[in-house]
Amino acid sequence: MAVELTMARMRVAILRHTLTGAQGEMAASGVFLGAVLAAGTLFVAVTADAPLLAAVYALWMAGWILGPVAMGGGDETLKPEHFAMLGLRPLRTASGLLTAAFAGLAPMVSLVALLGLVVFGIREGVVGALLSLPAALLTLVLFVLVSKVATGLLGLALRSRLGAIAAGVLNGTLLAGLCQIWVFLALFEESGVPGIVWYVPSGWGVRAVQGEPLALVALAGLNLLLLCLWALLLSRRTGAARTFGRPRRPIAARTASGAVLAKELRTWTRDLARAHQLAFALSFGVCFGASPVLLGWDGMLPYAGPIFVVMAAAMTSNLYGTDGTVLWLTLMTPGNDEVRARQWAWLLVMGPVAAVVTLGGTAIAGGPWPVALALLFSLLGGAAGLVPLISVYGLVPGTDPHKRAGNPLRTSEDDGGLTGLAYLMLGLVSATCVPAVLVALRHGWPGVVLGLATGVLCFVLFGRLATARLRSHGPDLLHMMRTGRRPARPTAAAVPLSAPRQLLVWMAFAFGSIALFPQGIVATVFVALGMSEHTWFLATYMPSPFGYPTSIAMTLLGASLYAFAIHQSRKAAPSRA
Amino acid sequence: MPSVDEPALRLVGLTKVFGSTRAVDGVDLRVPRGAFFGLVGQNGAGKTTTLSMAVGLLRPDAGTAEMFGVDVWAAPERAKPLVGVLPDGLALPERLTGRELLTYLGLLRRLPRDTVDARASDLLAVLDLDKAERTLVAEYSTGMRKKIGLAVALLHAPRLLVLDEPFEAVDPVSAATIKTILRGFVAGGGTIVLSSHVMALVEQLCDHVAVIDGGRVAVAGTLDAVRDGRGLEDRFVELVAAEGTVARELTWLSS
Repeated sequence: MAVELTMARMRVAILRHTLTGAQGEMAASGVFLGAVLAAGTLFVAVTADAPLLAAVYALWMAGWILGPVAMGGGDETLKPEHFAMLGLRPLRTASGLLTAAFAGLAPMVSLVALLGLVVFGIREGVVGALLSLPAALLTLVLFVLVSKVATGLLGLALRSRLGAIAAGVLNGTLLAGLCQIWVFLALFEESGVPGIVWYVPSGWGVRAVQGEPLALVALAGLNLLLLCLWALLLSRRTGAARTFGRPRRPIAARTASGAVLAKELRTWTRDLARAHQLAFALSFGVCFGASPVLLGWDGMLPYAGPIFVVMAAAMTSNLYGTDGTVLWLTLMTPGNDEVRARQWAWLLVMGPVAAVVTLGGTAIAGGPWPVALALLFSLLGGAAGLVPLISVYGLVPGTDPHKRAGNPLRTSEDDGGLTGLAYLMLGLVSATCVPAVLVALRHGWPGVVLGLATGVLCFVLFGRLATARLRSHGPDLLHMMRTGRRPARPTAAAVPLSAPRQLLVWMAFAFGSIALFPQGIVATVFVALGMSEHTWFLATYMPSPFGYPTSIAMTLLGASLYAFAIHQSRKAAPSRA
Repeated sequence: MPSVDEPALRLVGLTKVFGSTRAVDGVDLRVPRGAFFGLVGQNGAGKTTTLSMAVGLLRPDAGTAEMFGVDVWAAPERAKPLVGVLPDGLALPERLTGRELLTYLGLLRRLPRDTVDARASDLLAVLDLDKAERTLVAEYSTGMRKKIGLAVALLHAPRLLVLDEPFEAVDPVSAATIKTILRGFVAGGGTIVLSSHVMALVEQLCDHVAVIDGGRVAVAGTLDAVRDGRGLEDRFVELVAAEGTVARELTWLSS
């Protein structure tokens, strides 16, 4: 047990150091959210019947699998590489790391949720009560192990281009599924809780409590199996990830801009992180637009392409940060319009994909052509303008590409900064399409012309602003990336957000998203299309003159919540170390 | 045009403060044309910070840097083409091969395309990187990274080279190649400023030396003047060793 205890103690020590400052507040709001969810689970255990409880635990397990995958690699506080020189057997390392993994906040929150099994067992009788405690503990071990194995498999997959793309597609699909959860809720409403929850291991604890002790044995066996699998994965984890893409085409450019374009296009096809970003955005857009087809409604298909563009912009919002300290070469060769060439490269990569998805989706749905095309043009131009602009103004220091060992997708240690920048980009890029879409909704084709015009305007204007910023602040950006810190501004007395305020910011982002996108923009489109009483879109339930005011009020509410959240997090940004 | 009488590099009162630390504290240096200038100092003495400010990659809090009389911070577009830089530990366009990188950079430097191709081939052959034609820079070893970095610094044939730790982690054969190239560069009238904490290397290559300690210039001048009749290493330790840091043996290791 010595190895296990030592590793657990190391983990606790590291945890104590990280539970201060902005990261600590992030953790505090995470724990708060987890506590709310755990309380909800306990409530279900007290009031509801077994299938619903099993379904809830299936969701918890999904969270354990998806959380680390979505965060790009999961908790790496203790890495197996740290212990490589100690000569421990893989199984020993795995069991040590597993023990250490329990010394965290997430397992504690989950344990509280799993106490629901005990509550439910007491409801079932004496045998149920006796079996419930081991069931809860074994299920907790299951959650942690499943999460570790999933992360390990992802790590293996990420060593190849195919794996990075597959991970991007999977992540994009899952996020789209979460955003469109109403589709699945509507499906469940028709058919009830699916029976599969009983066969997923997260439901075995409930089965045991209901008088099937064999389920406990099966759970223990599965845990052992997972532990061995994880040990195997740990021993296969070596060295840095391989890159891909053998050079076949020499650079044919003859000008400086052509050289930047050639460099960018090669980076898009050869860099795993960028391949992942592209795959993620595409699968998100397509799944988001296509999932209502499950309910027999294809009205969102035309918007898959535009949604892809917005998501692609959010994913690439830290363009300069992702490339890292290579900025020094740009600084040493002044007089080139680097930004403009990068904009063209972005358009060349995203444009054709967006066009194909938009045209295909609109053709299948049979229109509305003016709105779809107005969205496509205005968003492509807006994104190609905003991506370099936001990435130089809001740069999040990243990990240099050649230092991304282990997990090539982890482009920065500052997850909070990256998420904030991505949200900011979502809001800003979406805003660039508003004039064109409003005109297209009311007058049709003139909206497309306006979309083209605003697109070109954003492309030119924002590109010029980014160039100017790079010229005036280039060395400061480089310094920030070199040290991984934002420069301290002696005048601004920036204080980190306090825990409650941090929570407020996250809630504002969350509710702002709901108000702005589904209840605002999407609902406006629905009202414009004359659809009424559509699932959970409030505006569609309003009597005739109140539809537009409701959806517009929602859009304004969402936008102001976003503005508040962005303002608050920007205020605290300089203090992020 | 750069003036003919000005030194290759002149630093006046360069200062950089990080938080409460004065990383570089009023550094004055004059590097004459044609000099092979060694900048030595302990880790954290301020070598990299000084060189970064000198070439325009880090904004100084105070002081000026001039190359051939052109102010680096007032006229970056005129100053920067005059220098070739090898920074320590910074990224390159990692997803390009060595040849692609040199082509890309040559075009950024506005060299004619055929000149770029000819020089890239030459550099790759001389630096023994042509065998790695199909390897992306991200997959290069540390030594190979230094060599491609040197090629990047040399490509536009500048008259001044500023090299931060050019020999770190370079194998002896590659080091010999690099030394030959650098000596040839100086013999042809070029100026080199390099930083290192390997005294033997500096003694072997350089004709001028400056010792940096605690962000200040402890001593600067020709190699012989700085050595003052002793070995550079002894002189260096004497200059920078603080009180009470006399080297001590580990008795339990030798008993």
